Formats: sequence, C-alpha cells, structure tokens
Amino acid sequence: MALVNLTGIQAGDFTVLAEDQTPAEAAAVAVPLSRLQDEGDDFFKVAGPVGAVLATDTNYADLAPLMNKIAFVVIDFPAFGDGRGFSLAVRLRKDVGFKGEIRATGPVIPDQALFLLRAGFDTVEVPDAREAAFKAALKRFDAFYQTDYTGQVSLAHARHSKNQERKAS
Amino acid sequence: MYAYDKYDHALVNARVAEFRDQVDRRVKGELTEEEFRPLRLMNGLYLQLHAYMLRVAVPYGTLSADQMRTLALIARKYDKGYGHFTTRQNIQYNWPKLSDTPDILQELADVEMHAIQTSGNCIRNVTTDQFAGATADEVADPRPYAELIRQWSSFHPEFSFLPRKFKIAITGADIDRAAVKWHDIGLVVKKNDAGEIGFEVLVGGGMGRTPVIAKTIRDFLPEADLLSYLEAILRVYNEQGRRDNKYKARIKILVDAMGADEYARQTEEEWQKIKDLPIDFPAEEAARIKAFFAPPPLQVLSDDVPAVEELAAKNFLFGAWVKNNTNQHKVPGHVNVTISVKPHGGIPGDATAEQMELVAALADEYSQGELRISHEQNLILPHVAKKDLPAIWADLDEAGLGTPNAGLLTDMIACPGLDYCSLANARSIPLAQEIGKRFDDFKRLQDIGPLKIKISGCINSCGHHHAGHIGILGVDRKGEENYQLLLGGSGAEDASKAAILGPGFDENGIIDAVEKVVAVYLGERTDGEEFLATYRRVGPQVFKEAVYGTR
Repeated sequence: MALVNLTGIQAGDFTVLAEDQTPAEAAAVAVPLSRLQDEGDDFFKVAGPVGAVLATDTNYADLAPLMNKIAFVVIDFPAFGDGRGFSLAVRLRKDVGFKGEIRATGPVIPDQALFLLRAGFDTVEVPDAREAAFKAALKRFDAFYQTDYTGQVSLAHARHSKNQERKAS
Repeated sequence: MYAYDKYDHALVNARVAEFRDQVDRRVKGELTEEEFRPLRLMNGLYLQLHAYMLRVAVPYGTLSADQMRTLALIARKYDKGYGHFTTRQNIQYNWPKLSDTPDILQELADVEMHAIQTSGNCIRNVTTDQFAGATADEVADPRPYAELIRQWSSFHPEFSFLPRKFKIAITGADIDRAAVKWHDIGLVVKKNDAGEIGFEVLVGGGMGRTPVIAKTIRDFLPEADLLSYLEAILRVYNEQGRRDNKYKARIKILVDAMGADEYARQTEEEWQKIKDLPIDFPAEEAARIKAFFAPPPLQVLSDDVPAVEELAAKNFLFGAWVKNNTNQHKVPGHVNVTISVKPHGGIPGDATAEQMELVAALADEYSQGELRISHEQNLILPHVAKKDLPAIWADLDEAGLGTPNAGLLTDMIACPGLDYCSLANARSIPLAQEIGKRFDDFKRLQDIGPLKIKISGCINSCGHHHAGHIGILGVDRKGEENYQLLLGGSGAEDASKAAILGPGFDENGIIDAVEKVVAVYLGERTDGEEFLATYRRVGPQVFKEAVYGTR
C-alpha cells in the first residue's frame, strides 16, 4: 500500500493494534474506537501517539470525550460508496474541532481524491497501483462551487471577491 | 438564460478530460467493468438491455435553440437519429458507442451542457415548472434558485455518495407543474407578509415501490438561507439514511421512520450551527444569476387576435391545439406553446434530429431563441406572440409535432420499459402506442378533457404511475406481462397517491379497462367536472363495478 498525502501534513507512522495486544512503550498505535472507550489512562500513558479507527457509521459525538487523548483518526470505508465517511470527517473538523491527521482507508477510488481532501481528510491509504491515479485526480479541478470546512470558499463568493479565490492553509 | 463564466467552462471541460481518460483506460482494459461502472454512472452513462444509454442534463429544463441543435447533431452523428426527452427534463440517447461518449460530452461542453450527476447516488438535475419565468400565476421565477442549487450540488465533496439518488424540484407558481411533492426535496417559492422571497421546504416525497408524498418541514425559509438549509437536510440524510437495502435508502423512508417533525428538528439543530458560515450565496451572486433570467422585452399586445379565432373556427385541430397546447403568458398577447411529443401511435418523448432542428428554428423565430422541456416529456416554446400561432402550428403539424393533445388522455407519460430498460418487467411504449390509437379521435379526447395517464413498466415507477389520474403498472406474472390499473393519483399541488382498483390485465384487457373507466367518468361527471374531481367525488366503487362487474 502507498500513502497519498492530500494536505501536506506530517503523516503519522503507526501500527494498527491487534485485539488484546498491548502497545509497546511509546509506540504509535491505531485502535478501534470501541476499545479506546474502555481503556483507562494507563493505556494512553504507555503508548505513544494513539489514534482511533472509526467505522463510517460512528457517531461523531462519541469522539468528543477522547479528543484530547488521541492524535489521529482513521476512517475505514467498507465500500467507496459509503458516503458517511465524508460527513464523519466534516463533523470531526466542524463540530469536534479535531485538528490532527484524518486518514482514509478502505476501497476508496482515485476519483474521490478531491472529495476526501475537501471533506477534511489529510491522507489516504491506496494500493500501490493506484497511487499515480490518486495524485493525478488531485490536480483535476482547481475551482469549487461549495464552501467547505477546510478553508475553501465557494465560487459564489470568489466571483465577487477582489482577491478572487481565497484558499486557507 | 444562464451563461457559463470561465469557472463553469473550466469545470465542465476538466470533467470531459477526466472522463476521456477513464474511457481510454476502460477500452485498454486497465479498468474492469466493475471499476468503470461508478465512473460512467457519474457521467450519466448506463448499460441497458441492448447498448449504452447516455443521459444528458438539461438543467431545470431550459435550453437555447443552439443547444437544441447540438442535441440534434448528437442524435444524428452518434446515435440513430433520435433522442428521448425524459420526466426529469433531460434527454437520453439510446445507442451511443462507448468510445464516442467523450466526444459527445465535449460537443455538449462546447455549448455549456453536460451529463454530470444525471445518474448515481448524488443530487440530480434540479427540475422545475416548464413555464417558469413566463407564466401569469407565478410568485417569482424559480430558475435562478435552480441554477444556484445546480452549482452548489455539482461535485459536492460531502454529498456525492449518498445512500441513494436525490431529486430536488422547485416551483414558483400556484399551479404545481413540477410535481414538487413527489421529490426528495420540494421547494415552493413564496412571499411573506413583508413581501420578501423565501421557500416552503418539503422533504421525503418519492415514488418507487413505496410512494410517499413529501411533508413540509419549514413554512418559510428566507431566500438567503437556501443552501445552508439544504446542507443541513442532506447531512442528516447522508448520516442516517439506510444503506443496507437500496429499496429503503431514499430519504422518504428515513423521514417516515423518524417522523417529519423529528426530521425538521434535526435539520434545524444542524442548520443553527452552520447558517452563519459562508455557505450561502452572497447577495451579489444571487443578483448576478437572476440577471441571466431577466424577462425578455415583450411588447404588450392584445389577447384578441381575430386571425387566430377565425382559423380556430374553421379548423377543429388548430382550435383544439390553441385550447390545449397554449398557456397564458404573463405578458398580454403572448402564450407559452406546448409542442406535444406524444403523437398518437408514437413513442412518448421521442423526437428525431429533424424535429429538434425544426423546434430550434421556431425558437429562433418566435420564442426569443429559448426552449423548455416539461417533466411530462413535451417541448415548450415560451414567450410566443399569439398572432404567430397559425404559422407555428402549420410548421409543427407538417413535422408531426402538431398533435393538439397537451394535458389530454393521450398526453401520456411512459417509461422506456422492457423495450430498452434492464429493470423493466413489462413493455410501456407499445401500450402507450395502443392507447393512442384507441383514442385517436380528437373530438372525443376534447370531450373527455384533462386526464393524465402515466405508465410504468416496473415498480420503480419511472413512468409516475402513482401520480396518474389513471396509472398503469406493468408487472411480471408467471412470465407474462400483466398490467395493474390505478386511479386517483395527482402530481400537482393537490398531490395524491393513486390506488390499485383490482386485479391486473393483459395488454388488450388494460386498454379495455381504461375505456370503461373513461365511460364511467363521462356518465358520472357534473357540468365541467374533470376526471380527477369526479373520481374523488364518487370514489372507486362505481369504477370497480364497471371494470370488473358486480360480484
């Protein structure tokens, strides 16, 4: 697998923690949300950066209590058509105020690259054979009809702004 | 009409380049059909029974004469010389070659058209009143809002992979010609007591196997809040709509499950969080778009045109055409002409390249170069001076487009059915053709008056049978085509669901049954009472007895 970096974030290098496995000291680990909800403070003290692995049907509100304990989030798409993953990323940025890395895993397709970026994802894990297609897809459009939660302002605004499109960092 | 700026052009051209690359990879075998499928669907390309089908968007049913000529060119150059106008104000081509489709999309892009989001689980072409901006009974032209929604919904980063397709319709008129109550979201343009423009917002309408009439979740949404409110509705749906069963995935099922009040509450709660963010169009953008839809400079003329009345008195068919196929324009002395694409014995909604070119020429000469497509699959010349009607009718009639049946029994909606569609259980087109032949007497049709027959070849109800005054649903019964008869539906402001009258029929039987239903109506009606009103007054029993006998 290859990692496509959508935003230029310092991407995390972590392992997905197997069930019942305890993290090595200071190791960066991704852990299913349901387990994180049960873990006590010791778990977070031992491990290095901890990330939550979320299914697309996760309620964003369940993340809120963990927000200051986790460093990154992995949203795992069961199918590329499961658009809940996009709303979940939007919620994490907009409602929870999460600033860390959001990564997409699962069978997402290159044609979703810009959608992922604009919904708030930073990185996406893709098969090696698709890396080039993902990177090409990122360059396909440079103007957008919608204001999003990553700082992109809609064309409806840009058309009337003296500075033309404003792109936030 | 809206004209693209550099951004719109760039986006549509980029989309064509992207699709050309995808088709190229598919043709070379780098993409499997399974991988290609979602990509082609996002560009309106379906694989049907016999061939690919390309569905081209005609945003809110408005197009120019030049755009119509391009549609004709595509029909001639890349298809079999015809196209099919659809209930979503789009056009479908039934026989394009896969390798030609990128060129077709480029031809479209060159005249500011596209096939984006005419398929897939995304927000589809926004539909509206075919007489928008031209009719006397309108609060405001809904098309600027439709264009604002078109732009907002195109390539939406969050709402391009919804649980299921999503259809928005908007009307600005008292008479609902856009069937807004049968859509996922229906919008009705209104003015409040202060004279400000806003929208009544309805959600959860839809046909398919579970017909539901949309419910109002907000009586008056200020104009400036439109897009943020839509975003809130869509977010609730995207998160909570069912994804385990495609037949339960439309918003109507979610609204029904949680209740319209709860849907309204959740929408409101989310909307409060986002309504002050720069999601909505700024006032300058609304003004920019509205300017494209400024009313054409029509001269006020007399509604009394002796030449029209004299010809109508002499020629019954012309008289019937003026009566049925014209709608009063808001400027006196003008009308909107409905060109029937429902010739008796023909295929509802099909038009040849030559017919499209004639209509484009008529638009240049008589209707400000502007055309419309109605959800009832007809073409419209808006803004026509009444005095020009005889000349227009003569040209249309010669081309087989002069059928004076708009709004009458033979102005049927029929889905493509088993002749084209891989979902169908039964044929729709031959049935429509047979009904056209059986009722091929314009004096009789005129006497029967307004009556909408809508035919679907399967339960997915693309032919809107749930909303038919008379609905016909084709089903498969032990390998035989069987047709169910439904009565009492309406797609208008008085929306209602048609109810099944009794057991189904074979093809001849269903046409006989329609005849019997019409006979009951003629016997029961009071002076000037239309079919639907009679049905609602007398109820189904008398129709049931006539069709099935007393038991």
